[in-house]
Amino acid sequence: MELVKRYVAAVQRELPEQKRQEIGRELQANIMDQLDALAEQQGTALSEQQVADVLKKMGPPQHVARQFSPIQPLIPAHLMPLYKYTMYMVLGVLFVLQIVFMTSHWLTGSDFGPISFVLGIASGFIEDAIFGFTAITLGFALMPANTRSGQRKSANQWQPADLPPVGAGWQHISLSDVFTDLATYTFLLLIIWFPLWQQLFAGGEPVSSVFTQQSLQLLIWFSPFIVLGVLSSLWQLQRRLWSRPMLSLNLIVNLAFVIILVLLATLGPVLQLDTANWSGYFSPEAVQQAVKRGLLITSLIPGYEVIRDILRLRKLNK
Amino acid sequence: MTTAQLDKMRLELRRGVLVLAVLAALRERHYGYSLRRHLQDAGIDIDEGTLYPLVRRLAEQGLLDSEWQQGEGRERRYYLLSELGAELLQQLTHEWTTLNNALGPLLQPEQTMSAKQAEEQG
Repeated sequence: MELVKRYVAAVQRELPEQKRQEIGRELQANIMDQLDALAEQQGTALSEQQVADVLKKMGPPQHVARQFSPIQPLIPAHLMPLYKYTMYMVLGVLFVLQIVFMTSHWLTGSDFGPISFVLGIASGFIEDAIFGFTAITLGFALMPANTRSGQRKSANQWQPADLPPVGAGWQHISLSDVFTDLATYTFLLLIIWFPLWQQLFAGGEPVSSVFTQQSLQLLIWFSPFIVLGVLSSLWQLQRRLWSRPMLSLNLIVNLAFVIILVLLATLGPVLQLDTANWSGYFSPEAVQQAVKRGLLITSLIPGYEVIRDILRLRKLNK
Repeated sequence: MTTAQLDKMRLELRRGVLVLAVLAALRERHYGYSLRRHLQDAGIDIDEGTLYPLVRRLAEQGLLDSEWQQGEGRERRYYLLSELGAELLQQLTHEWTTLNNALGPLLQPEQTMSAKQAEEQG
């Protein structure tokens, strides 16, 4: 009966310590009863192989142990939607914060190229995301049981009358779109205003802007539309469903973006370039030309959104 | 339907019914192996890896009383339906009867069709 002892010990090893002895004792008694019954049935003592067959039929020790003591998931199934939503929101905010941090760092740093900027955002975001993921998961896992039942109670307190209208599939606003827009607007506001803030409020040395004087002036006039874009994104975040006023606001913001991008592309040079380092590779004119073409191509994105929103408004008006 | 799908659905269907069967069987005192034999004799085949943990879980929920006793030269843990278990069994039995009565007519056309098919094949 060495095999039985080994089997019971293997099951016990997979169990929580406080249950090991009791379950092991009972399991051994049950297996011995079964083996005795089998021996009585065939009239002779069981061979080692027959004992092994009985144990094999019971299932692998890990499986049997899991039956006795099922694994509790780290995040209960009913909390999973809330967990995913929290994760998405926190990661989105961390992404925006990372853009803010890296942009301000880029604008004050002297030897900080565009590639280092992008890499800095990626590595910084991954670092923050790992921390955020761990903190949220641990928070949910350590949530007391009474809070969990509280969550269930509040989930039952919903009212059918509070539900949003049916709406088409496209009316749902994805969180990733909102956070991408927020990150873009924050980046633009920082890149336009940071050098001026540094100069006016921090009393620091004037920081040279990446834009030419003319482009910067245009962008400063355009800033209220970017702020409008931020407010629009925050509204989208709160409602998560396109409505006529939201679409109209989004249309105005995107139209303003198209106009400013086309204006920047058609008026004089856009960027103040340190061409000394590049002279061996590109001429300043070629770089400015490429920037202008880039701006025109970029204007197609808000342009597409303007047309899309007009069509959506028509659909909603029907 | 694949065998895997059928197995999964059969498992789901049996899960709740097995609790009812075990509670009903434990109106009489049983130890693990004798309970399995009792269920087997009644036509309910349940493997040990499922039955023994199920009995323990029911005991932990206070639905069964248990005690260790010596029997036939070996110690065994005997289980018997507790007061709480008896109350629950009564409610579950009522639920099962209602459900079974409702299901009967719903399943009838299927049974009739199966009988017809068998007749045609025969």
